[in-house]
Amino acid sequence: MTMEFSEHIKTANVDDVVLKLPLRAALKGTLCVTAHHLVFSERKEEGSYQLLLLLRSVDAIEKRMTGLSGSSGTIVIKCKDLRILQFDIPGMEECLNIASSIEALSSLESVTELYPFFHRPRELSLSEPWGLSSPQQQYAQTERLWDRWRLSKVNRNFSVCMSYPRTVIVPCAIDDITLAKAASFRQGGRFPVLCYYHRSNGMVIMRSSQPMTGANRKRCREDELLLQAAIDESEMGYIIDTRSAQQAQQARMAGGGFESKAFYHPWRRLHRHLERGKVLQESLIKLVEACGDPSQNMDRWLSKLENSKWLSHVHSALSTAGLVAECVERDGHSVLVHGFEGTDTTLLVTSLAQLILDPASRTFRGFLQLLEREWVQAGHPFRQRCAHSAHSHARLRQECPAFLLLLDATWQLGRQFPVALEFSEVLLLRLAQDAYASDYGTFLCSSEQERCALQVKENTHCLFQFLLRREEREKYVNPLYEATDLAIWPSVHPQSLQLWTGLFLRWTEYAQTMDEAREEIWTIVKERKETDRPKGCAHTTLSRHDSFTNVENLMDELTVL
Amino acid sequence: MTPYKDLIYMCPFHGALKGKVFITNYRLYFRSTDMESTVTLDVPLGVIGRIEKMGGASSRGENSYGLDITCKDMRNLRFALKQEGHSRRDIFGELFKYAFPLSHGMPLFAFLSQEKFEENGWSVYNSIDEYRRQNLPSEQWRISFINESYELCDTYPVHLVVPYKATDEDLRRVATFRSRGRIPVLSWIHRENQAVITRCSQPLVGMSGKRNKDDERYLDIIREANGTPRLTIYDARPNVNAVANKATGGGYEGDDAYQNADLVFLDIHNIHVMRESLKKLKDIVYPNVEEAHWLSSLESTHWLEHIKLVLSGAIQIADKVSSGSSVVVHCSDGWDRTAQLTSLAMLMLDSYYRTFRGFQVLLEKEWIGFGHKFTSRIGHGDKNHADQDRSPIFLQFVDCVWQMTKQFPTAFEFNERCLVTILDHLYSCRFGTFLYNCESVRDSNKVRSKTVSLWSLINSDKAAYVNPFYTSDCSRVLYPVASMRHLELWVNYYIRWNPRIRHQQSPVEQRYKELLALRDQYLKKLEELQ
Repeated sequence: MTMEFSEHIKTANVDDVVLKLPLRAALKGTLCVTAHHLVFSERKEEGSYQLLLLLRSVDAIEKRMTGLSGSSGTIVIKCKDLRILQFDIPGMEECLNIASSIEALSSLESVTELYPFFHRPRELSLSEPWGLSSPQQQYAQTERLWDRWRLSKVNRNFSVCMSYPRTVIVPCAIDDITLAKAASFRQGGRFPVLCYYHRSNGMVIMRSSQPMTGANRKRCREDELLLQAAIDESEMGYIIDTRSAQQAQQARMAGGGFESKAFYHPWRRLHRHLERGKVLQESLIKLVEACGDPSQNMDRWLSKLENSKWLSHVHSALSTAGLVAECVERDGHSVLVHGFEGTDTTLLVTSLAQLILDPASRTFRGFLQLLEREWVQAGHPFRQRCAHSAHSHARLRQECPAFLLLLDATWQLGRQFPVALEFSEVLLLRLAQDAYASDYGTFLCSSEQERCALQVKENTHCLFQFLLRREEREKYVNPLYEATDLAIWPSVHPQSLQLWTGLFLRWTEYAQTMDEAREEIWTIVKERKETDRPKGCAHTTLSRHDSFTNVENLMDELTVL
Repeated sequence: MTPYKDLIYMCPFHGALKGKVFITNYRLYFRSTDMESTVTLDVPLGVIGRIEKMGGASSRGENSYGLDITCKDMRNLRFALKQEGHSRRDIFGELFKYAFPLSHGMPLFAFLSQEKFEENGWSVYNSIDEYRRQNLPSEQWRISFINESYELCDTYPVHLVVPYKATDEDLRRVATFRSRGRIPVLSWIHRENQAVITRCSQPLVGMSGKRNKDDERYLDIIREANGTPRLTIYDARPNVNAVANKATGGGYEGDDAYQNADLVFLDIHNIHVMRESLKKLKDIVYPNVEEAHWLSSLESTHWLEHIKLVLSGAIQIADKVSSGSSVVVHCSDGWDRTAQLTSLAMLMLDSYYRTFRGFQVLLEKEWIGFGHKFTSRIGHGDKNHADQDRSPIFLQFVDCVWQMTKQFPTAFEFNERCLVTILDHLYSCRFGTFLYNCESVRDSNKVRSKTVSLWSLINSDKAAYVNPFYTSDCSRVLYPVASMRHLELWVNYYIRWNPRIRHQQSPVEQRYKELLALRDQYLKKLEELQ
C-alpha cells in the first residue's frame, strides 16, 4: 500500500461487526478497509460469507451513534448499483475512523489512483489488446465506404477536437484544412463525422456538436461544404436536433446555434426535445427514491413512477432514435444528429438508432463495439457524468445518467424483441455497474486524449475484452437469440414501456426468482439445441405453434409498422 | 347466407373501411372490400354485450347512422350504414336475435354446434379422481354423497369432502346456518401436514348476532382434524362490508362463538367495485390508449390494486396452510372472491395445478363445480346489459394467474395464449364449459351430453398452448410478489385490439413475424423482377 492511501486509513480492521444485506440474515465478522476495497469476512468455520466491495462504488455513507452513550456506531452504505448495506460497528472511534476512510477513499480525485490501475488478476496480462476496434478497423471493414468516405488523421494530436479520437471518418471531398476550419465553428471542435453507414441504401448517420452561429448569425463556408459533401448528390438530409426549437434559438445568445435553412438548404431540421444533465439526474434520484420507499402503503406507486418522469425520458430517447432510423431506412436520407455539446443525448440517439437498424450492433461483440465507438471513443464524459449516482448527498455537478438511459432503452428493445439481441439483461446490469465503479479501465476518463495522457490503456485491463473471454461471455448471452437482418422498430407507447425492474428493483426477492428462471430457460434451450442439432435449434420444436397465430392480426400489425 | 353489403366498419385504428358483413348464428364476420385493406373482423356473437342504433333518419353527419356494438372483451365495434332501405333494421334484428338467443327463446350456440375434436374435454375432470389424487378419503376426511341430488345445497357439486367426524345430519344442521346452504367443505389438503383449505359462504348471524352450536362445533372438528391449535377464517371482504351484511341476515364468525378461531378480513371489494374498475380501465385503453398520464390514469382505475389484494390474500392463505394450520375461506356467498382465493392459493401450493391438465382440473373444481355464477356474471345470451349481477371476477382471477406466470416463467405448463383462449371462450358460447351458474342447472340442461367442452379444443391442439420453458421439477410453493411495483398491466390481453401497441411477444410469435416480414420482402422483390 502506498503512503497516500495509508494516510486515509486510521483503523484497518474491526472485529465483531454485524453486516446487514438485502435478502440475507445479519452476519457477524471482521471488517477491513484497504486502499480500494471494503472487505467483510464472516467468522465461521466453513462456507463463510465474504463481501468484497469496491470503495469506488460507494455513493453515499451515513453514520450514527448507537448503543449506551454512543459506545458503538452504525454505518449505512448506499452503493452506486443501488444496493444498501449496513454495518454495526462496536466502538465509536473505530466507527468514525472507518467512515472517514470510506469517505476519503471512495472519492479519490486522481484517475491513476483508482483501482483499475492496481487490478492485476492472474489470468489477464497488460500486453493483451485494449479495446475492440478503432475507426481504422471500422473503415477497413466497410469496403463500400471507400469511394465517398475517407479516414482523416486531422485530429492526430487532439488539437482540432479534444474530445474526438485521433482518427475519424469524413467525406472524401473534404480535406483536412477544411475540416479544421469547420471544427472551429463547432462547439468543442466536434465537427460532423460519420458514425454509421447503412448498407442497404448507402445513407449515413453523422454526429457533431452545435454550430457556433451566435447572435449575429455567423456562417462558416467549410462547415457548409462538409455537410454538402456528406449528402453528395442526394437531394436532402435531415438534421435531428435534440433540443426544442426554442432552446436552439436561445443557444445563439450563448454563442451556439443551429444550421439555418438559408445556408444549409438541402438539410431539413427537425427538433426533438430530449432532457439532459441535471433534469435527468434528478429524475433518476426521484425514481430510485420511489423504488426504495419502504412504506407499506403502495397506493401511490404508479403516480410516483410517473412523477419521476424516467419512463418518459426512455420514451423520448427511443422515439427520437426511431425517427433517425426512419429517416435513414424508410425515407432513404442521411441524418446528422446533434444537441449542444454532442456528447450526451446525441450519442444516446445515434447508438439507439444503430441498434434499431443494424443487426451487427445487436450481437454481443457488436454491441460492445458500438458502446466503444459511440460512447468511449466519441468522448462521453464518463468521469463527470458517472461520478455519483442516485443516492449521493454531494452537490450535483455534472452528473447525468445518459449512459444508464441508453442501457434502459436497450433493455426495452430486448424486452420487445426477445430474440433479437445476442446479449441478455445480465450484460446491461454489468455495464450499469461498471460505468460507475469498475475493476477495469474502460469507463475511466472522458476522452481518448485523457486516456492517452494518463496511459490508461497501458496500465489497466479492458472490460470489453474481458467480457468477451469464453468463460465470461457465457454469463451474458441471451439463450433465445436468433439473428435477423431486419430493423427492429420499438413501440414507444407508454403501455409498451416498462420499469426496468432488473436494475431498479435489483435487490429484491423478485430479482432472485427471475435469475433462477433465467438459468432454467438456459438449461432448457441448451438441452433442446443438443437434441435438435440436426434440424437447427429451439425454434424448430416451437415453429409448429406458428400456424395458430392469427395471421390477420399479424398482417395488420405489419402494415401499421 | 346473404351478406350485408356496403357497410362501413369505423375501425378506430385504420379509419372508415367499406366492406361486407356476414352474420351466422355464431359469428359476425366483416371483410373489407377496399382494395388496399386486408382488415377482417371475426367476432363470436357471444362477446356482444349491447347493440344500439346510432343516429336517426335525419342524421346528417358522415357515417353518423348505424350500429354501435359494445363487446365484453374490451372492444367496441361501430358500423355505419346507408339511411335508405331497411338495411339497418334487418341487420339489427338479426344480430340482436343471435347475440341474445336466450332473450328470444332460442338455445345458446353451444347446443347447436356439431364440432368434433380428437380429445373429449369432459373427461378431464372427475371429482372422485381428483380427491383420490389428494389421498382422500383419509382417516380424518370422508367423501359425502349427501348432495347427490342437490338437496343439501343446489349450488354445490354432488361430491363433498367433509370431516370424518361430522355426520350427514350434522351437515344438514350446519347448512341452515350458512348462506344458501354452502357449508364449509374441503378444497385441498396438504400432503405432509394435513392442513386443509375449506370453503363456504358467510354464517347467517344477522343483526341479533345469532349463534349456531352445530356450525361452531363443525368448524372445531375441521380444526381438530390435523391438530391445528387455532383455525384461521379468512373473510375475503373488507371488515365494514362484513358488518353491513348482518343487516341482510349474513355476517361473520364472532370471537365469542368461535373461540378457537382467528378471523382475518382480506379487504377485497365486491363484484360492483370490480365491474366499475374494469369499466374505467376500458375507458383508458379503448379505442385510444391514454398517452400523457398513462401511469396515473392506470392507477386511478384501481385495477392493479384489486389484483394485488386478491393475490396477497391468496398468499396469506397459502402461507398459513404450508405452516400447518387449516383455514376456512369465505366471502358473502362463497362463489366469487372465495373461488379466486382458494384456487390461487391452490395454484401456489400444488404444482399439479400448474400443469396443463391440472389447471383445467382446478377451474372445473373450484369455479365450475363450486358454482361460480358464470351465467349471471357474464350474461350469456342475455340482452340485459345493465344487469347488476355482471362482473369480471373470473377475468380478474385469470389476470392474477397471468401475473404469477410472469413472475415464474418456467413454473407453468400452459402459456399466455392458453389463458387468452380461455377468456375468449368464456364469452363465445361455443363450448358448454362456462355455461350456467352451477352443476345442478348444468345437469338439468344436459350440458355434458349436448355441448362440447372447451378442453376438447385446447387438448386436441396442446402444442399451441404449451409453455416451451416449463420445468416440471418446480414443485415448491410459489409465492408471487404482490407488491404494486411488481404487478404489470396485462397489455397483451387488455390492449390487444390496438395494433399500434407492440406487446411483448413470445419468442415464437416474434420469429413468426420476422418470417412473415421476410416473405413480404421476397414477394416484393419477385414483383420487381417480373
